[in-house]
Amino acid sequence: MASDPMGSQLRRILSIFFSLSIILPLSSPSPTMHNNNWAVLVCTSRFWFNYRHMANTLSLYRTVKRLGIPDERIILMLADDMACNARNNYPAQVFNNENHQLNLYGDNVEVDYRGYEVTVENFLRVLTGRHEASVPRSKHLLSDEGSHILLYMTGHGGNEFLKFQDTEELQSHDLADAVKQMKEKNRFKELLIMVDTCQAATLFSQLQSPGVVTIGSSMKGENSYSHHLDPDVGVSVVDRFTFYTLAFFERLDMYSNASLNSLFTSYDPTLLMSTAYYRTDLYERPLNMVPVTNFFGSVMKTIPTDSAYPGFLVAHASEYAAISAETETARVVLEDEADHSKTYDQSEKGLQHTLDEWLKLLEGKLGVKDPEVLVAYGLGSMVLLLTISTWLSS
Amino acid sequence: MEVAEVEAEVEKKATATRSRLIVRLAALLVSYSTLVSVVCCLAGLIALLVLPLLAKNTYISENALLPGSANPVLSYQHVTQANNLILDIMNIADDKEAPDIEIPKLIAKYMEILGAETYHHKFSQPQNQFHPLYFFSTSPNSPPTLANLSYGTSTVGIIRAPRGDGKEAIVLVSPYNTQNAGGIDASASSIGLAFSVFSLLSRATWLAKDIIWVASDSRFGDHTSVSAWLNDYHNPNFIGDASSNRIFKRAGTMACGIVFKVVEKERREKYEDRDVVTMYAEASNGQMPNLDLLNVVHYLAVHRQGIRVRIGMFGGLVKSHLVRVLGEVMQQVGRFARSLNPDWRFEMPSSEYVEGTATLASSIYSQALGVPTGPHGAFRDYQVDAVTLELSPRFSLKNEHTRLAFLLKGGRLIEGTVRSVNNLLEKFHQSFFLYFLTAPNKFVSVGVYMIPFAFLVAPLPIIAASLFNLTSNRNPWRWLHTAKPLLITHTWSVVVTLLPFYISKISDLPSTHCMLTWAGGSLMALVILYIVFGSPYSKHVEWRLLKAVMIASVSIGLCLMSIINFATAQIGALFVVPMCLFALPIRVKTNNSLIRSMVMTCNLVMAVLGFPVTAVALMQGVIKGFGTVSILEFWDSMKFLWGWNSATYLYLVLVHLPCWLLFLHILFHPCR
Repeated sequence: MASDPMGSQLRRILSIFFSLSIILPLSSPSPTMHNNNWAVLVCTSRFWFNYRHMANTLSLYRTVKRLGIPDERIILMLADDMACNARNNYPAQVFNNENHQLNLYGDNVEVDYRGYEVTVENFLRVLTGRHEASVPRSKHLLSDEGSHILLYMTGHGGNEFLKFQDTEELQSHDLADAVKQMKEKNRFKELLIMVDTCQAATLFSQLQSPGVVTIGSSMKGENSYSHHLDPDVGVSVVDRFTFYTLAFFERLDMYSNASLNSLFTSYDPTLLMSTAYYRTDLYERPLNMVPVTNFFGSVMKTIPTDSAYPGFLVAHASEYAAISAETETARVVLEDEADHSKTYDQSEKGLQHTLDEWLKLLEGKLGVKDPEVLVAYGLGSMVLLLTISTWLSS
Repeated sequence: MEVAEVEAEVEKKATATRSRLIVRLAALLVSYSTLVSVVCCLAGLIALLVLPLLAKNTYISENALLPGSANPVLSYQHVTQANNLILDIMNIADDKEAPDIEIPKLIAKYMEILGAETYHHKFSQPQNQFHPLYFFSTSPNSPPTLANLSYGTSTVGIIRAPRGDGKEAIVLVSPYNTQNAGGIDASASSIGLAFSVFSLLSRATWLAKDIIWVASDSRFGDHTSVSAWLNDYHNPNFIGDASSNRIFKRAGTMACGIVFKVVEKERREKYEDRDVVTMYAEASNGQMPNLDLLNVVHYLAVHRQGIRVRIGMFGGLVKSHLVRVLGEVMQQVGRFARSLNPDWRFEMPSSEYVEGTATLASSIYSQALGVPTGPHGAFRDYQVDAVTLELSPRFSLKNEHTRLAFLLKGGRLIEGTVRSVNNLLEKFHQSFFLYFLTAPNKFVSVGVYMIPFAFLVAPLPIIAASLFNLTSNRNPWRWLHTAKPLLITHTWSVVVTLLPFYISKISDLPSTHCMLTWAGGSLMALVILYIVFGSPYSKHVEWRLLKAVMIASVSIGLCLMSIINFATAQIGALFVVPMCLFALPIRVKTNNSLIRSMVMTCNLVMAVLGFPVTAVALMQGVIKGFGTVSILEFWDSMKFLWGWNSATYLYLVLVHLPCWLLFLHILFHPCR
């Protein structure tokens, strides 16, 4: 190929232009940008009279699925099968409300760990990702450094422990150790731990890893109570904390902008009969800036572009959720993240300058002259483009 | 070397002083034995009287039970069906020639309509015989001999749980009696009540345990039929009888037995503003069902169905002036204690105390007797928790409307109990097995009721040790001589225990003659034993040593009995411990004549009252009123005890009787 100094220079400019516009938006923020969501939902107690714990977990499962976390990214652990219990008045159905409007155990419930598989060992293996070779991939928590993980646990707890299956217990330092391992292995970016047990807050006392935000249904010395009893099924079907959590989410869809703070402050101690406690000292972002869908749904930040081709990028690449434009104004804008993208704006400004000038010139012509002149200019520029391209390709 | 030796010596001294402390403490107790025993006995008596104050409210301990969490679904439809059955039964009882054949057929027909597996169970009346070797194992495995005797027929229906594993079952028992013409209303209502629940359960989707309904023919008593059926249920007969085609179907192990019968109270009794259910729980030898079962029934009856719950109570004690005065005293003491410290809240209104005492006395007495208070006792022999519920309606059952309303209420109570037990995952185990009841919702647990007994028994070893020290003979084996009269006495008591077996072989003796034969035989046995082994008053036998040995043997006997049947030991201790402590020969010389005369009076009184025959009569007199008691009934009451294989009989003859005889030996000791 004949080398042409003029042509090669122009080609280089164009190639830089294209490559910059492709690479910059992805590479400019920190490498741990939130880009996927996982949920680990655990019900730790067996036996018929603990029906409500399974109903709690299944309700949360349904909620996170509705808000956009796909089944393959939900690890569901259920210690007992209430739906098939002989005492169940409604065979193969589980309800979390006495009105029986919603069967939680309908189609498409994928239970990953069931019955006696729900042990402390398996739970810690899921969190830390240290499975035996035979464990299928669908049972792994395949999160990475960009993952937001929701960890929901319910069962019977006490001071700094959570009982698993009547035989063993998960202690607060076990949990803290697992979370620390996860952090070191870059298995999450942010982790929300939500626990609905008695004295749930004590389970968080040993946590040290950054990026963890926790909420428990009750403080030390408090019990968490069930919400109501289903007189048909004959057991309590949902716990208070979970009931009000669900009530909060029932109003939301995946386009909603409610912040974590609004969830955390929505719990009324008189209704809960306990004090919901949340710990944020390990968490950097202010809670009122974090949409709940960052954890309970699959909503994450994306960089919107006007067109698929970066040559026609708009001047400001601000933050939007990957949603329709009508909610843009309502969406919480995250200031600190936006700073990263400003540097990218300036580096690109020089290249975009010439193109802008040309467009302005075109626009000016459009406003003043009659259409024939514009057509003439257009034809002229097309001829010009044609000659340049043929000259380049020769 | 030297240092080590010194150290070793010091150590030895140290251990010596350390061990000496315990010895010194024991010595201190022994030297003040009189004071200690008086204080302990008083404390024991007071603790016994205070028991109603220490009763706690019952609570449901097992999480899984969830009583009343499901709404009862028994409806008028079920009850009207049941009413048809009741009417049919009454018609048969009035018209047919042989209602005892027709009624089981009718019940089976109704069961089959519901889709239950049905069969008839035939049983005969057991021979009420004295089996000295069958104590503690209530079911002598005698093969059924139906050929020559009249027999009863129970009808049994089984509903299999639709999604259960078929390994557990709940048993409903409704006794009925066709022989008793007056009570056919109540009997038919019992059947109807059971049928209404059964028809509901046959359509229930929530069953995890099979349901067995035994409509038991109680012509030989409620207990006989249930016990015969349970015996066949648990002891399958593999040999023979293949030709007779006896069908016997089983479900799983029994989680619980609920026996219920409708009883129409006489109108003359005091007006009731509610339906009443009376719970009977005492099984053989003072065993009780798990308290949770009673709690569930009580909770459902009171808080769901608005039925009043009663348990056994001695009405005589409520009217007794002594108990009322005690109640007043307790109230004052409680008030005084609360004025001292507001946290001491054991103040109790005197009326409540009186009722609590009467109920507690009944509870202790029924346990001490060791005879089951109903058919539930047969279940307890197979370690199945069971309770008998006697439902008595507020209005007459003759009126159809009130009958339907009553059936609905009672049926819902039983439905709730069944559903609650159905929720269980394992046997009843959370709550108490050892308890006394002072009200349907108040109990005294084992940890509390053992205190009075411990106080009563504690002085016995101390007194024995001090008496042993006081003897003039210093030989450590000196008690061996006194072991001889002890051995003779106990051999004699064994002979007395076995005598009734041979007396009962002679048929057709009136009980007074049996009693006299028993007494005569025992006396003869005693004389023969003395002739063979020599007089108990040999010169080596000091009265103090004799008393020490007697106390030792009695305390062993009491402690053993407290393990077998605590209530018996508790009542027995009230009689035996004073006898042990006060025993003093008439001829002994003391300085203080006043004390001596007082002790002598006490001794003579106890010599009379401590005799088992009078002691039993006294107990029954206190409980039931003295008008009805006669000493000659002793044979009958003993026959009653061994008929039920009660260990109380063994206690009376093997522990109490030798104690009394030794007491007499001491009383008439020559004191050489």
